Amino acid sequence: MESRLVKACLLGVLIVCLPWHSLSQSSGKDATAAQSEAEYVCPMHPDEKSKAEGTCSKCGMALKQPSRQGKSEVAPTSRWGPDYFPNVTLTTQDGKKVRFYDDLLKGKVVAITMIYTNCVDNCPLETARMLQMQKMLGDRVGKDIFFYSISIDPRRDTPEVLKSYAEKYKAGPGWLFLTGDEKDIELISRKLGLYSEPDPNDRDGHLPTLLLGNVPAGVWMRNSALDNPSFLTIKLNQVLGNYSDQRKGAVKSPSVAARLEFTKGQYLFATRCVACHTIGGGDHIGPDLAGVTRLRERRWLTRFIMTPEKMIEEKDPIAMALFKKYKEVRMPYLRLTQSDVASLIDYMEAQTAALRAKEDGGTTK
Amino acid sequence: MSDRRFFLSGKTSKARLREAEQARNNRLEIVKACSHKQVSRRELIKWGIISGTGLLFPINGLSPFVRSAFADSNIPTGAPPSPLFGVQPFTQPMPRFDVLPRDPVSSLDPFPTAEANTTQQPVPAALGGGFGPIEGRPPGPIWAHQQFNLLPPQVGVSVTQEGAKVNTVYNPGVASQHNSGINPATPFPPRFHPNLPDQTLLKFWTFNGTLPPKLLIGRYGEPILLRHHNRLPIFQSQNGGFGIHTITTHEHNGHHGAENDGFTGAFFFPNQFYDYHYPIVLAGRDTINTNATDARASGPADNGGLNKVPGDWRETMSTHWFHDHMFSFTAQNVYKGNAGMFNIYSGLDRGAEDINDGVNLRLPSGRASVTGKSWGNLDYDVNLMLADKAWDRDGQLLFDLFNFDGFLGDVMTVNLVFKPFMEVERRKYRFRILNASVSRFFKIALSDGSPMIQIANDGNLLPHPVTLTQLDEQGIAERYDIVIDFSRYSIGQKVWMVNLSEHKDGKLVHKNLSIAEAISGNSDDPAVGKFLEFRIARDPAQPDISQVPSTLIPNPDLSNIPVAQERIFEFGRGAKQTTFDPVSSFFGPWGVKTDGGDMLAADFGRISAAPRFGTREVWTLRNGGAGWDHPIHIHFEEGQTLARNGSATQVPPWERGRKDVWRLLPGGSVTITLQFRDFGGMFMEHCHNTVHEDNAMLLRWEINGAGGAHLNPLPTPIPTPQGVNFMDPTDILPTAFP
Repeated sequence: MESRLVKACLLGVLIVCLPWHSLSQSSGKDATAAQSEAEYVCPMHPDEKSKAEGTCSKCGMALKQPSRQGKSEVAPTSRWGPDYFPNVTLTTQDGKKVRFYDDLLKGKVVAITMIYTNCVDNCPLETARMLQMQKMLGDRVGKDIFFYSISIDPRRDTPEVLKSYAEKYKAGPGWLFLTGDEKDIELISRKLGLYSEPDPNDRDGHLPTLLLGNVPAGVWMRNSALDNPSFLTIKLNQVLGNYSDQRKGAVKSPSVAARLEFTKGQYLFATRCVACHTIGGGDHIGPDLAGVTRLRERRWLTRFIMTPEKMIEEKDPIAMALFKKYKEVRMPYLRLTQSDVASLIDYMEAQTAALRAKEDGGTTK
Repeated sequence: MSDRRFFLSGKTSKARLREAEQARNNRLEIVKACSHKQVSRRELIKWGIISGTGLLFPINGLSPFVRSAFADSNIPTGAPPSPLFGVQPFTQPMPRFDVLPRDPVSSLDPFPTAEANTTQQPVPAALGGGFGPIEGRPPGPIWAHQQFNLLPPQVGVSVTQEGAKVNTVYNPGVASQHNSGINPATPFPPRFHPNLPDQTLLKFWTFNGTLPPKLLIGRYGEPILLRHHNRLPIFQSQNGGFGIHTITTHEHNGHHGAENDGFTGAFFFPNQFYDYHYPIVLAGRDTINTNATDARASGPADNGGLNKVPGDWRETMSTHWFHDHMFSFTAQNVYKGNAGMFNIYSGLDRGAEDINDGVNLRLPSGRASVTGKSWGNLDYDVNLMLADKAWDRDGQLLFDLFNFDGFLGDVMTVNLVFKPFMEVERRKYRFRILNASVSRFFKIALSDGSPMIQIANDGNLLPHPVTLTQLDEQGIAERYDIVIDFSRYSIGQKVWMVNLSEHKDGKLVHKNLSIAEAISGNSDDPAVGKFLEFRIARDPAQPDISQVPSTLIPNPDLSNIPVAQERIFEFGRGAKQTTFDPVSSFFGPWGVKTDGGDMLAADFGRISAAPRFGTREVWTLRNGGAGWDHPIHIHFEEGQTLARNGSATQVPPWERGRKDVWRLLPGGSVTITLQFRDFGGMFMEHCHNTVHEDNAMLLRWEINGAGGAHLNPLPTPIPTPQGVNFMDPTDILPTAFP
């Protein structure tokens, strides 16, 4: 009896795991099939089923018929389809030509950011955040979710440049870095509502936006690309209509969650640094920061965290060496204040000290 | 007059419609041809269609690059002008709201429970299959109805959310003479005008699936259990181009536990219901007038007397509304029809102008002696829901998903019908005006410039009424209650409500016009000008004995309550300068900057403030930019406005009562004071330009240390059709906990 429930659940999971385009076409049929299998069911004991009306043999409750709403549902042509999205040609980091609508959007669930590799502002963090998301989603990226980072600086961002950028960030499969004709990209950004007017006060000129779209369903959601990646993943699942994944890693019991304690430094590190750095966990996109407060002068460290691009511009020897060592991944300009940076350095120092103490404890034992 | 430029009228409509449609097709062709390299940019420049910088010139409004490719009007609906199929303004009567039936609680099956009802039901395969709870409310003690045993529901109201259908049970709550002659027995179709097409099942998702919009009626001392059934399509794609089928219903400014607040992340699915428990209590019930001895703290009794209740009578509220609050989809869902109003009656605001007991303010409403209803008379107390809409060539509702500045419609509706007329008697009327737009601000005047008396702001009766010839700008979700005295007109005369606020985009009001300018039709904004016609129909059958007393409801004196904490919230893309680089300014994503911290996007897993239970705080809401306006709504309890731009004298008289939405004004700030008492849980603060709200201008705050079931930080609910899970808060701002 239990196996039927398992089967029903499996069917649900299976459907969710199918590539979206096949689901959207066949979901009406699947829904009907799943429902006709379970005609009358006990609300409390799902394994108690009957072809006819009756009562549950376990609790005596009346068996109920599941909803039949799913019958004959066929996805209508979305307003947000080929008539809306331009089918311009873009080039991937591997030099492959792709059509924006036909190849990148049609039938897919997508996560789109607009970046440029030379960006010293938000893009590095944006890309690092996407990487965190990709890790959380695992091999679903490239199968039922597609990541696109589209360059808004296509003249500089050739496929080769994008390829090395993708490699630096260790972007996994299913994540395309795209370049193309400037006008085509402007058209895309306008159509996606991601275009920002040039602003003389804003040297960056683009918003760190992550657009999540379920193209066949015509459902789109705009998010900040700098947001908490686990939360972004939850929202992506929501856009996807994929609720079974929301169950993973969630606390099952509604008991009160533990109060979280944060120091300012810890908070800043967690929100600004962990996408690329660890303390004692080894090198990631950027270096392991254990001991960095002992290795570098505090003044140097402060200045580097606050204005990394300036130090590279000035060809500071240490900054240049690091830039080279970490495959020329730019440290993002995080817009931290002096007091923010002080808290961060204190935090890194404290973490290093704790790490050393632990190591010492380990060896004396 | 204004209609001629933008609306299709009379015989020209077909030609004009063809033209609009052609423009749309041309534009698509050009965009397509250009993107497919079938024509060169040089050719387009030669044709005068494109400029050297690549921008298409708006020829006959043909501008594929304005906001989105469908735009060809100056108003960025993202679409050609909404065709009117020859319909003229002021040719249909304005329907009064449809009053929701109030049934015994026992009519609700299954019977409501304090904790969510987790009885299992099969879940359609499209929603993941398997089994899930019949109620979408998060299970367990945290989301149990607070004080459910103390304030058990006495009225049951059952509503659905579903696709458009014909209304065969319309109850306007008034005789047809007070409803411009509408016969409620005639089936009411889901359309904006008798000569406009019916909205189809997927385009229009309203309460009970019908028009007119719904009115919930309640009174102090009588808790309501509103059971909301989600009957929307199970397939996400079945949304007619916008809207999402998961919903969470916010009773706007309800003073109740968070489980009833329509928390953005506590949404429920098709085939599920959610039980909202509206206790309808006065704020301060745990600490002020606890023995319920003050007659002014009361609800109306059926026999014409009073049911006294605990709490502060100066926190009495009157005009609420309820609407969807779905994370990232509020704008689309509310626009799609998920909005109703809620009149709350009290000893002071009785809805019976002939009861003279020293407590009743006797505001215009109707006579108990005529209707037999000792409270809640609607004869001369009229709900007005204003909203701008847009529709496609088939007359079906339309929304632009990709305009993140704010969405504007080009057609004005009142009570969800196109520019209606209302027959009135020569006497005083009360109007409860709600701005239910997505991004549009209104500024209301009468066409002849004659005075209106504002009596309430956001449903709170003012300390003193304010007489105005033009109301202030009214932001999204703000409610202005006004009294208009039609006795100054003669029978057969007409007077119009006029909108003076002209928009160019969804960011802010471009400018406010004079009444003459607004009526002239010279504005490019089709929502400017007359939108509601009053026809002075007759003398009242009885003399008008209603009153507008010079003192309504004074503010509670908070001077003896210490300020436990001050907080600053900055909305917008605020500039943040760094020590080393004073020239660069940061234009981050939409968001809210808390206490000078980072600009953060909405994450309902993040706790941005955690005021202590039983305390008072002072919050400053600051607009980070001058090119935008934001109406900011804070949930849970109405607050008092202390200052605008740091100055108490800059608070206008009509904002000197209590409020729950504050327009920050471009570059402006508002300082308010709030109390945190009676209930607990997770609440929100957000911009009520719902496009801004959905694009991250929203934060979560929690009441800290309320004790009992609502400790904090609370785990974040993650709803699925198979049941709600919980996660630890993803992030807590270091300044959240004092």
